[in-house]
Amino acid sequence: MKIQYLPHTADIRMNIKGSTLKELFVAGMIGMGNILKEGFCNKNNPIDSKTKIEIHALDRTCMLIDFLSEILSHSYAEKSIYCRVEFLEFTSNKIKAILFGTHTSKLDEEIKAVTYHEAQVHRNRNDQWETVVVFDI
Amino acid sequence: MKIHKTDINKINDYLWEIPKSFNQKMRVPAQVLASEPLLDAIMEDRSLNQLINVASLPGIQRASLVMPDVHEGYGFPIGGVAATLYPDGAISPGGIGYDINCGVRLLTSNQNIEKIKDKVELLSKEMYAQIPSGMGKGGQINLSSEEMEEVLLKGAEWAIDHGFGEKDDLAFMESNGRLEGANPSMVSEMAKKRGTDQLGTIGSGNHFVEVDYVEEIYNDEIAKAFGLYKGQVVVLIHTGSRGLGHQVATDYIRLIMTAMPNYGIEVPDRELACVPFNSKEGQNYFKAMCAAANYAWCNREVISWEARTAWKNIFGKEVEPLKLMYDVAHNIAKIETHIVEGEELKMIVHRKGATRAFGPGFEELPNAYRAMGQPVIIPGSMGTCSYVLAGSPKSKELTFGSCCHGAGRRLSRTAAKKQVNAPVLKEQLREKGIYVEAGSFKGIAEEAPIAYKDVNMVVDTISASEIAKKVVKLKPVAVVKG
Repeated sequence: MKIQYLPHTADIRMNIKGSTLKELFVAGMIGMGNILKEGFCNKNNPIDSKTKIEIHALDRTCMLIDFLSEILSHSYAEKSIYCRVEFLEFTSNKIKAILFGTHTSKLDEEIKAVTYHEAQVHRNRNDQWETVVVFDI
Repeated sequence: MKIHKTDINKINDYLWEIPKSFNQKMRVPAQVLASEPLLDAIMEDRSLNQLINVASLPGIQRASLVMPDVHEGYGFPIGGVAATLYPDGAISPGGIGYDINCGVRLLTSNQNIEKIKDKVELLSKEMYAQIPSGMGKGGQINLSSEEMEEVLLKGAEWAIDHGFGEKDDLAFMESNGRLEGANPSMVSEMAKKRGTDQLGTIGSGNHFVEVDYVEEIYNDEIAKAFGLYKGQVVVLIHTGSRGLGHQVATDYIRLIMTAMPNYGIEVPDRELACVPFNSKEGQNYFKAMCAAANYAWCNREVISWEARTAWKNIFGKEVEPLKLMYDVAHNIAKIETHIVEGEELKMIVHRKGATRAFGPGFEELPNAYRAMGQPVIIPGSMGTCSYVLAGSPKSKELTFGSCCHGAGRRLSRTAAKKQVNAPVLKEQLREKGIYVEAGSFKGIAEEAPIAYKDVNMVVDTISASEIAKKVVKLKPVAVVKG
């Protein structure tokens, strides 16, 4: 799993890679959690927030963006950062999962939205899953 | 597709055009309102590629347009205007943005900067204490579900009815602080949940509350009509619909992207997802957008109440309370009438990072302003300066009655953080007489003046192109940020 932050004039652009699709999705979740609060998902946080999500999407790319958007919405609604996920179902257009998170009172960054702009989940030359994700800040 | 300067035709010193022939998907030309140096700066990111994509929207009229403060966005450029034909032209949530009805308002006082100079630091601390800023901080109001419905329907009026605002304020807001088309049932439960405790909060990013004074007057007659005079202390507020608006946009971009193929629409970037305005999805989005816009006006009214409380706490009851000069939206879609090729047509005007700038005679304006044109408030970057302009008739001819919305970003947040030492900058600003109260040094670095274009150049272009007149320049003395 690899997470890299790239420049964008107004927003945050993140490049993520994973050897499996699930790993790519986890990289997206951790990468986003670490934007909300710097280095938060690199720590061993006590789990005190749990939520179930279900997503239906047109394709893999929309699935990833919708997955991250859903996590972001729950982060704000529950005032929690989610760094762990258990997939109950994972197909190319449907996800059922349980998110495990930690309540936190203050965030470092406000992400307004996870955008579809430039996102393209694909297999790269090294046979890894890869995409760019642009966040509206 | 790479765009070269040779692809751009000069119409005049302040208007440039990429013809429809540049790309077969373009339905109209793409126009840039900018001086040549600003155009060169604009060409450094992908704003113009994004502008060309916007020119392909179904039903788009005359031209896709960007203002001199434009910068690259995610789909639509930030600082753009797209007008589509009513009733079946496209409506695109991306053309309004995630922060629905992000906007600016200016409150005026009857105090002179020289008189209150010694109390500015105290005032900035009190503003910071009264106005919740930064991420994860809720406000003082916790809305019940019935109250949420009322906020979404009534906008700023809700705040006034509940003791968080002044009745006289309504006449001094774009659309009187309320869009009639709102339907709260089109707003998801998640969006409502996110908005429950966020009224009266500014959030983070480029949002702020600032204390300024009028440094320079460019047009005495209009300044007088707007109630502005040299040395006068004013308060500038910049924020929007917070998490509620972000969620409405997220929900509907997802929905519209799925519905789009049913209308035979294809777009070059998913963030341009759109449907006909009169489709079921288009109507549902518009009703939800109006509701989110109303939440934003209510939010800015509650923040004004907090700023007024801070003002009263520092200066006491003897000093006149802050008065609303005007409130404008810069991320919104409006149904308006404009003339295209001699024909008066009803349109859906998308403004994303652009401000309405209607000229004199506009009926909605309060009596005192009607002969002058609509006030346009242009915040500059932190610690530089801001402007009040007045809309001119030319804006209707050139830009569907629109103007710029700020200085426009130049550097990414990452680049700004690398180049700026925030504690040093805070101290430098303090030496210049500007107190900054912020939740973090990171926020100060990201919003440093170096990260933005020169607002003076942006405003001079607007003034030279005659879409709005310069009225006054504001100089900051205190900034409250998330």
